[in-house]
Amino acid sequence: MTSVLEINGLRKTYRARGGPRRALDGFDMHVDAGQVHGFLGPNGSGKTTTLRTLLGLIRADAGEMRILGQPIPDALPQVVAHVGAIVESPQFFGNFTARDTLSLLCDAGNLPQTRVDWAFELVGLRERAQDKVKTYSLGMKQRLAVASALLKQPKLLILDEPANGLDPGGIREMREMMATLSAGGMTVVLSSHILSEIEIICDNVTIISLGRRVASGPVSEVLAAYSTGQVKVAFEAQTDLTAAAQVFTGAGIAFQQTNGHLVVSGVDKPATISRLLAERQLYVSELTPVGVDLESVFLELTGTAPVPGQHRSVDDSVKVEGAQS
Amino acid sequence: MSLVRAERRRFIKRRLTIWMVVIGVLILGAVITGFALTHEKPTAATLAAAEAAAERDYKEQTLMFERYKAECEANAGTDAAMKCQGPEREWFKAEHYMPPQFNFKEMFGETLIVWAAITAMVGFVLGATFVGAEWSSGSMMNLLTWRPRRMNVLGTKLGVALGWMTVVGVVTFGLWGGAQYILGKTSGTTAGMTPGTWQSFGLTGLRGVAMILAFTALGFGLASLGRHTALALGVAIAVVIVGQIGLAIVLQMANVKFAEAYLIPVHMYTWLNKEVTLQDFSGQVTCDQNGCDAPELILRYTSTGYVALGVIAVVLALAFVSMRKRDVA
Repeated sequence: MTSVLEINGLRKTYRARGGPRRALDGFDMHVDAGQVHGFLGPNGSGKTTTLRTLLGLIRADAGEMRILGQPIPDALPQVVAHVGAIVESPQFFGNFTARDTLSLLCDAGNLPQTRVDWAFELVGLRERAQDKVKTYSLGMKQRLAVASALLKQPKLLILDEPANGLDPGGIREMREMMATLSAGGMTVVLSSHILSEIEIICDNVTIISLGRRVASGPVSEVLAAYSTGQVKVAFEAQTDLTAAAQVFTGAGIAFQQTNGHLVVSGVDKPATISRLLAERQLYVSELTPVGVDLESVFLELTGTAPVPGQHRSVDDSVKVEGAQS
Repeated sequence: MSLVRAERRRFIKRRLTIWMVVIGVLILGAVITGFALTHEKPTAATLAAAEAAAERDYKEQTLMFERYKAECEANAGTDAAMKCQGPEREWFKAEHYMPPQFNFKEMFGETLIVWAAITAMVGFVLGATFVGAEWSSGSMMNLLTWRPRRMNVLGTKLGVALGWMTVVGVVTFGLWGGAQYILGKTSGTTAGMTPGTWQSFGLTGLRGVAMILAFTALGFGLASLGRHTALALGVAIAVVIVGQIGLAIVLQMANVKFAEAYLIPVHMYTWLNKEVTLQDFSGQVTCDQNGCDAPELILRYTSTGYVALGVIAVVLALAFVSMRKRDVA
C-alpha cells in the first residue's frame, strides 16, 4: 500500500527557561493511503509538535519526514495543496464572518469560491455562514476549522482534536464524515483523546509517549497484543461456582474468584472451558473473553493511569540531562 | 497573485482599518472646519466695519494720550519730545480689524505636517495590527498551513499594507489640498500660485506619503517581531513618553545644545519642510535692536531620511529573520 505519511527518527528539543526539553526523541510514524489513522498520546507527549513539524510550523532538529512521497519541509510548498490540517484549537479572526474566513482561505490557496458553500454544507454550517466567527460556540468553531481543512479537498487530512467541543450528535456526525471521507479515498490522521471514538473510527493507530512511538499498527492488532487472554465464567447457582472452581483446580487451570463469577486465565479457547464443565454437568450462564479496550492499552503504554493519592504532571516532555537550568 | 488578492481583501475587510481611516479623515475634517469657521473673505461691509473700528481705536488712543501727555512730559524732562509721542493714524490699519482670510499658498504648505502626522499615525496602527492581530488570533498560523513560504507571506502582507497606505495617503492628500483650495476660494485667496508652487506642494506631498509609509513599515515590523500588536503600540507609547517627553525634559535640564535635534517631531517637520534651523539659547546670545543672535544648527531632510531609512531597514530585517527562523508555536 502507498505510504502517504512517513516519519523516521524525528527529534525536537525546545529551549525553555528551566533548561532544554526534549519533545520528540526519535519518533517514527507511517500512515498508508486511505487509512483513518489515530494518533494518540498524553498531554505534552509530542503530538502537536509532530503535527506542527509536519506542517512546517516548527523546525525539527533531526529526522526525516515525507508526505505523499515528497520530503518535508523542502517540498512542503508543492505538497501543501494536498494537505488539509487543523492544529490544536480552531483559530480564526473573530470579527470576520465564517464565509469571509473561508473565502479568504480560498483566495490564498487559489481555489474556486464554490468550495466555500460545499464545505459549509459538509460540516452543517450553511445557515450560520454569514455570522461573525466570534458569535460561534466552540463546537461551531470546530466545525468551521474542519471546513477550512476540507476546502482543499486534500489527499491527507490532519485533524487535531476535531471532536473537541462537539455535542454527542456532533461527534457522531464527525465520525460519519470521517468514514465518508475515508471511503472517498482521503487519508485521515486523527489526533484525539476520546479513545472510544478512535477505537470506532480508526483502522490504524500510533501511540506516542515521551516523544517516542510506543505502539503502532491496526487497532485490532494493538488491542490483541495487550489482550489478557482471560475468560469470565458465571453460573446460575452459587454451588456450581464452587464445583467449577474444583474442576479448574483439578485440571491445573489458573483462575480467580470475584463477585459471583470466575475469571479463568491461560486458556486458548473458551470452548475448552465449556467442554470441561459440561463433562461434569456444570452449565455456564455466561462465558465471555475479558476484553481490553484502547483506553486501558493507552493508559498502560503511556503510564498515565491515575494512581490514588498521586498527581500526574501534565507536561511529559523530557528535560535534557546535563543541561544547565 | 492569489495571496496578494487574499491579503488585499483581508486588509480592507478589517473593522479597525475602516475605523482608523474614518477617524483620521474626521480629524482632518475637524481641522478644515476650524479653518472655515475662523477665516472669511473680505467684503465691502467687513472692510467698512474694519475701517470704522480702526478709526474708533485711533480716536480713543489719541484721547487717552492727550489726557496723560502733560504728566508724561513733566516726568520725561529733556527727552519729552522722544518719549511722549502720540499715536499716529497709520498704525491703525483696517486689515488688523478684519477676520483673517484663508491664504491657500501660505496655509497649505504649513499645514501639510498635520495631514502627514495624522495619516502616519493611522499607518503605524494599521501596519502593526495587520500583522499583529493575525499572530495573536492564530490566523497567521492557519495561513502558514496554506502558504508555507514564510518570507513570501510576510513580504506580501507588508507590500499590501504599504500599497493600501499609499492609496490612503494619496487620497487624503488630495482631499486635504482640495478642501483647502476650496477654502481659499470661498474664505480667502488662492492668489500667488505658480507652477513652481504647485510642484513644490506636490513634492512635499510625496515626502508626506513616504513618511506615512515609513511609519506603516515601522509598525508592521515591530508587531511582526513581537508577534503581537501590543509590542508595536508599546514601543510607540514608550518612545513618545520616555523617548520624547522624558528625553526633552532631561536634555533641557542638562542644558544640552540643540536639544530639539533629538526629538522625532522636529525630524518629521524637517522631512516635510526640507530644512529646519534650530537656535541654541543656552550659550552665548547677543541681542541688538534687530533681534537676538544665537548659534544655529540646520537640520536637513536628507540626513533625517537616511536615519529613518536605517531604523526601518533594521527593524524590517529583524522581523523577516525572526519570521524565517522562529518556530510557530
